[in-house]
Amino acid sequence: MEMMLLRVLCGLSAIWAIGSLLVQLYRARAGQRADFSVRRGDSFRGILHIFTRGMMPTHKESAHHHMFEFSVGLGFHVGAIVALAAVLLLVLLPRPPTGALHVLRPLFQITFLLGLVLLARRVWSTLLRSLSTPDDYLAIGASCGLLLLAMLAPAGDFARGALLLYATVLFIYVPLGKLRHMAFFFAARADLGRRLGYRGVYPPATPSTEQSDVRAS
Amino acid sequence: MSGHPDLPVDPGPELQADPPPLVAAIAALEKAVQGSVEFHLNACVKCGLCGETCHIYQAEPEPENLPGAKAARVMQHYRRYHTFLGKWAPKLVGARDLSAEALAELRETVYGRCTACGRCGLHCSIGLDVSAVIRAGRRVLATVGEVPDGLQRTVENQLSTGNQMAISQEELISTASWLGEDLKMEMGDESAQIPVDQPGRRVLYLINPREVKFFPLSLQAAAGVFHAAGESWTISSKFYDVTNYGLFSGDDESARVLTAQVMQEAADLGVGEVILSECGHGFRAFRWEGPNWMGAAYPLPMRSVLELLEEYLRDGRIKVDPGKNPDRVTLHDPCNLVRWGGVCETQRRVLKQVTTDFVEMTPNRQDNFCCGGGGGMLSMSEFANRRVNSGQAKTEQIRATGAKIIATPCHNCADQLIELSKVGKLGAEIQAVVELVYNALVLPGNE
Repeated sequence: MEMMLLRVLCGLSAIWAIGSLLVQLYRARAGQRADFSVRRGDSFRGILHIFTRGMMPTHKESAHHHMFEFSVGLGFHVGAIVALAAVLLLVLLPRPPTGALHVLRPLFQITFLLGLVLLARRVWSTLLRSLSTPDDYLAIGASCGLLLLAMLAPAGDFARGALLLYATVLFIYVPLGKLRHMAFFFAARADLGRRLGYRGVYPPATPSTEQSDVRAS
Repeated sequence: MSGHPDLPVDPGPELQADPPPLVAAIAALEKAVQGSVEFHLNACVKCGLCGETCHIYQAEPEPENLPGAKAARVMQHYRRYHTFLGKWAPKLVGARDLSAEALAELRETVYGRCTACGRCGLHCSIGLDVSAVIRAGRRVLATVGEVPDGLQRTVENQLSTGNQMAISQEELISTASWLGEDLKMEMGDESAQIPVDQPGRRVLYLINPREVKFFPLSLQAAAGVFHAAGESWTISSKFYDVTNYGLFSGDDESARVLTAQVMQEAADLGVGEVILSECGHGFRAFRWEGPNWMGAAYPLPMRSVLELLEEYLRDGRIKVDPGKNPDRVTLHDPCNLVRWGGVCETQRRVLKQVTTDFVEMTPNRQDNFCCGGGGGMLSMSEFANRRVNSGQAKTEQIRATGAKIIATPCHNCADQLIELSKVGKLGAEIQAVVELVYNALVLPGNE
């Protein structure tokens, strides 16, 4: 009975998180103005590029100059996303997916440690400390908590109940603090790709593919 | 003030002491962050990996020069007035009131520590368009009259005289006249000239006032190429300025007026097309931002002169001998033309046809480093030292090519590169692409 209650609460909290993020995205998008300039490229191709080749470390100096930090961050995010998916499965499925939770346990263990590395880096790096607000530490800490509880979830109903309760609170925080970047990451990246695609900057031209403006464009 | 409809948060006693500019700043912030900027304001994870992507951070690796830190200056105010936690728990999310002190710090950051070149955005793990965030900050400051004096004076010159250098109509006409006389002698053709205010021509050519004042050879070269191609063209004596410093200052209304007066002049002269001379930000401002400032598509097509030059070469309207440019040439990519304008390969195709030894810098194209002279930096003397220092990355890029000539389709970049060449003892000459084309021209009778 308690488990059912926790599932419902967590589900409602997830709906709040998703709904709030969608409202925020919608409001931001509603403020966009029409582009009256004559397009030179293709927005869709720009978005496609920025989410594919443009995501590769070879195309991002922030990644290839900092492969260790980039890899740690990437791994941590994979773990956090899978943990969120596991929580949603716990909410939605009539029986807990214990087999899947067992299989995922090593992933949560590793990515929890990666989260601690990120947290330690933020604490020890003078540069990052100067840049950080309490919310920045909270976001990593909260995600580490999620990974820790996801790691323990196969242990039994008590552990799964703790995970659901924790996720309920976490979902309330998601659209309010730094964790909302989980939605805005996609929006920001798509927006940049769209604009650069429209102008013919992305995908990067080769000498033979760049289109000149048509004389009577 | 308490009844101001745009204020989501009580501005507090500090603002009440001097309400008009700060209330206006808060209202301007609301306008500036609308639309896609809001996506970017909420996306930064402050990973701190963006430093090396920025030429200013490379030269001065201070935390304040980190692109993420520059964006955070705008974000902290956005959060204060536009997010739940920013309103109710500002310390948790680093939200900060707009105050006189905060505006001064914002001004130092968005004008003095960033050229809005956009390189960091393309290399950001998130895809955060820092330059859009910086411009939102500039829009706020422009609204409350906090634009640095030199930059603001340039905008005011443009608004009051039609050009950023306040060159009189008489001076322009006189310069065009003597340049035309020189051109006749150079080309050995009495019909060569620089036509001014000629109605019904196919092309209205917009030029940088620096061409009139300091670099007349650029204008003369363009005129020579147009003449050789048999182009029907004119410049205007009133509204000929290809630059638009409203883009840099963040003053969209001034930018709109400057765009509108040029487009009106094009309509009054009855031309068929507007051609923009080599100017990075001018291309971006007119080609991409102008229609949006005006809220309507242009009735006329508009291109960069680089595209016209390529068309002449492709269609055989001009003949060139690359052997006339035997020195090693490299190309500096202006950020606003390439990274934000999409004109990337055209200038390369042109240069490869008019030179014999063309070499690329590394990195190049969209990944090229800003020279340091962008974003209006050249107009702000208070940041001159940082501007020159920030050109270190560019200086080393150029040195590695061993080029004797640096071609750059931008007069702001040219000014900065001249200084970098001197400071860095590069011994290189800076030329516009059209100058190299003109130099390579094979005129009838000289084939």
